[in-house]
Amino acid sequence: MTATTRTALRARINEFTYHGGTAAALRDVGLEIEGGSLTAILGGSGSGKSTLGKLLGGWLRAGHSGTLRGSLELGGTRLDFDGSAADPRINPAEWFRRAAFVPQEAAAMLSTVRSSVAEELAFGLENRATPRQEMLRAVDRTAAVTGLSGLLDRDPATLSGGELRRLAVGCAVITEPEVLVLDEPLASLDPAGTAQVTDVIRNLVAGGSAVVVLSQAVDGLALQARQWIVLDDGTATAAGPPGKITESAELEASGVRLPGSAVSALASTSPGPERVLGKGPAILELLGVGFSYPVASRRNGPATANEVQRTNVLRDLDFSLRPGEIVRIVGPNGAGKSTLLRLFNGLLRPSSGDVRVGGNSIARTPVGRVAASVGLLFQHPRDQLFERTALREVCFGLRPLFGPGGATVRALAALDEVGLSNAAQVHPAELSASQQRLLALATVLAREPAVLALDEPTVGLDRHGVERLSHAVKEAAERGAGVVLVTNDAGYGRTAADRNLEFDAGRLREL
Amino acid sequence: MSSSPLTLSEAGRTASRNRRILEILGAAAIAGTYVFLVLTQPADIANGPVSFSALVALGGFLLGAVLLIVAVLPALPTSTLVLVPVALVLNVVLGQIMGSSGLPFYFDAIGTVLIAVLAGPAAGAATGALSSIVWSFFNPTVLPFAAGSALIGFLAGLAARGGLFRRFYLAPVAGFITGIFAGVVSAPIAAFVFGGTSGVGTGAIVSAFRAMGDTLMAAITKQALISDPMDKAIVFAIAALLAYALPRRTTFQFPFVRRFRVLAGKAPATPAA
Amino acid sequence: MRLHPFTALTAAACTAVATTAAASWQLSFAVSIISSVLAVRAGVAGRVLSAAAVTVGPLCLSLVVLHGLFFPEGRTVLAEWGPARVTAEGLQFALDLASRTSACVLVLLLFSFTVSVPDLVSALAASRIPPQFGFVLASTLTLLPAIVGSLDRIRQAQEARGLLLRGSLLAHLGALRLQMVPLVQGLIEDAGIRGQALEARGFGAPGPHTSYRHVDDPPGQQIFRALALVLAAAAVALRLLASWPTASL
Repeated sequence: MTATTRTALRARINEFTYHGGTAAALRDVGLEIEGGSLTAILGGSGSGKSTLGKLLGGWLRAGHSGTLRGSLELGGTRLDFDGSAADPRINPAEWFRRAAFVPQEAAAMLSTVRSSVAEELAFGLENRATPRQEMLRAVDRTAAVTGLSGLLDRDPATLSGGELRRLAVGCAVITEPEVLVLDEPLASLDPAGTAQVTDVIRNLVAGGSAVVVLSQAVDGLALQARQWIVLDDGTATAAGPPGKITESAELEASGVRLPGSAVSALASTSPGPERVLGKGPAILELLGVGFSYPVASRRNGPATANEVQRTNVLRDLDFSLRPGEIVRIVGPNGAGKSTLLRLFNGLLRPSSGDVRVGGNSIARTPVGRVAASVGLLFQHPRDQLFERTALREVCFGLRPLFGPGGATVRALAALDEVGLSNAAQVHPAELSASQQRLLALATVLAREPAVLALDEPTVGLDRHGVERLSHAVKEAAERGAGVVLVTNDAGYGRTAADRNLEFDAGRLREL
Repeated sequence: MSSSPLTLSEAGRTASRNRRILEILGAAAIAGTYVFLVLTQPADIANGPVSFSALVALGGFLLGAVLLIVAVLPALPTSTLVLVPVALVLNVVLGQIMGSSGLPFYFDAIGTVLIAVLAGPAAGAATGALSSIVWSFFNPTVLPFAAGSALIGFLAGLAARGGLFRRFYLAPVAGFITGIFAGVVSAPIAAFVFGGTSGVGTGAIVSAFRAMGDTLMAAITKQALISDPMDKAIVFAIAALLAYALPRRTTFQFPFVRRFRVLAGKAPATPAA
Repeated sequence: MRLHPFTALTAAACTAVATTAAASWQLSFAVSIISSVLAVRAGVAGRVLSAAAVTVGPLCLSLVVLHGLFFPEGRTVLAEWGPARVTAEGLQFALDLASRTSACVLVLLLFSFTVSVPDLVSALAASRIPPQFGFVLASTLTLLPAIVGSLDRIRQAQEARGLLLRGSLLAHLGALRLQMVPLVQGLIEDAGIRGQALEARGFGAPGPHTSYRHVDDPPGQQIFRALALVLAAAAVALRLLASWPTASL
């Protein structure tokens, strides 16, 4: 390879449409990535970031996964596509060896058929018939680069989020690609995990790799990038050095979460005149609640270390929520935040103490009935959605509460509140991640519960999404609902909440 | 270094003829075994002669299933292969959920039929056979039924190709017909390898025919003709419902669905305006 | 000594075949007992026996009722109630088949629950069996516990939306559909993504493969496997010769 240019990857995408897609997922995107550089592709939810990343990293292939018009150039080899049957067919394995993609959901990268980290790392080499001695060396080298040396014998299923992310990166870099594309590499990592992954990426760039990160927030990594590309609705609207783009209208419009600015839009959530904070009896009370998971004894396979140790999560915990109040609860992963939320509506029952909703103990009330007063939103919206259109999804179960006419009116209002009026007839699975979360929120809002409990509501939301969420939460509180936000998102939660609580040894402590 | 190509050349057709031969041999092994078993079924059933028939049934059907797998598996695209474990898990889990009803049905092919609808007859046959073989890891009694499962997957794929999944009411019809074939082919296994069926409902039906003086093989075949078509009609209907619930973008990633307009019926049904 | 996965598999399969060929309830019982003892010694008795009970229990019960009461070929009638006739031949047949199936199931389950799945997968990969087969086996074993977890998550999420899981059978089936849809959708979507990842990592590409995990295959075990296969084949041949049907229909 001659060194006339250091361009590792050049892409010109005039149009890319998924098979069965009604509109192009990408239009007019051009980019040029140099070796030894860090590029950030910034865009909101549904902007086409992941599609672009997968096209660049050999996961999506022209013809196979959709129709591509444009060209891709990797290491001096240029491939032109015009969407016809005569287009070149990309060899995914060879492409990925030289330009690798790491998905946001790190577990999706894993083969699911290897029982240790070392074997998982070697999986890609095995398929390329790499001699065993060479594999052993490559695994050691990659483990050192990604900080996995101490974990080589662990079962991948037992890794933490940050470890899993590093394993996924390791699986991609073990073949020493020239280009590495990472989708949201810092999403939902705790500070320790963030620091480690950032370190790995910095080292790869220093080693001469061209690294591309896809992100919907201007985070620590994006700030280190040499080049930014702003993606909005499938199109590149701005590109250039960060300094030129930071203040641009394109970035502002894209829905990318900016450090600081997103917060200012929400700062006005303090108790306004409409809010009847602190009056009336508590709508939700936990009295001396204790909870411990039964010591794990699963039939199939050994329990993970996590399960065995998570006994006695909550101890003698008191909590009360008043109408119109917004409470934020923080705590490290595994402290029992999600457990607490599940106690609110009876999905879990306390081993001691009592949970009261609207003054009545829910000890003998089925979850489905408590749900009328306590709306709970989980982290994975996909589990909650099962209908064929967004409107039917929100309408589900409303009829007995509001009558046939009232149900539709109420559902449309809820969709409007989260900004999904235009998507009423769209299949929930075809919405973007951000929209799916908002749809799940709408299903809860439409029932007008007295208590609204949201588990990490901002994860996966872009700035538009966070604005919608914050608006909806505020509306609900003004209506008189009590809101509990379990979130470690300092940007959103702190400004929105009237009270901040922290988990401390199985109890809640005022911050 | 720059020698390894970034693109694939056109797939060679040389191996496909060998695969076709293997497929035919596999199907012939299954059909031949069935005919042989029916012609030579022991008039006087006792352990010895039944053991002979059991060995023939096991050998012939398993050979057929393995030949089919060998023929189809290496040619199966990875995007389809990853669905085989999903089908298997769905067969087991949905089968267990539905099977708790105590009806004389099995409901153990929902996943296989779903994959056949999405990926075609060859994938369906491989899924059926593989899922039996892999599931026998936990439940060895399903292993002998591998050939029957392959047939179900194959016929479901054919039905999908013929457009029977475009309309909801046609799917159970296809299932009913599939059930007739699958039940008849699996009857010798139940008769000679296991000597009966393990369900309460199915067992009662076999008992009734035996009480009327039927041979074991005849009684089980008649039972299969009562249970299987109904069972497969329900299974096909459930699989159709599940396929309709999938978003277009998911179903359209399968070339089989695109090429044969397998689920075309659902597009106009959704109101666009 | 650690058994190569294929040695254990061959031993189990050959035992099952030979037991079927022998057609003797005494041998079937012996195989069952030996398998159970080995299971106890391997510390998997509980899992093997409970899995066997679930699969063979209903079958055995059904056989006893079916052949015990209705066996038109039976001549030695022990008791009679209306259409039901208890015959010695029927009971003997039920005993033969129930013991045979139990023996085969026990010995095969003993293999399943003692083999190291990673070793088995890499042994499969090292042999000429297509790597796709090992993938399906191992991936299924990974997916099964995961699917139980996701079914539980889906149920919780839907109950939190106000779904009441009770009432008539019809209502129950309706609720079931609501759970199956997100489950199937999620599984198929995930499988699609996994397929992209696997192809990118070179899986399914034609050509040779190597294996990172090394599984010892001592020559002694290879000879044992060959012997076991020959013996099983001999047992089958003897049975075929002994019981070849002379009078066709």
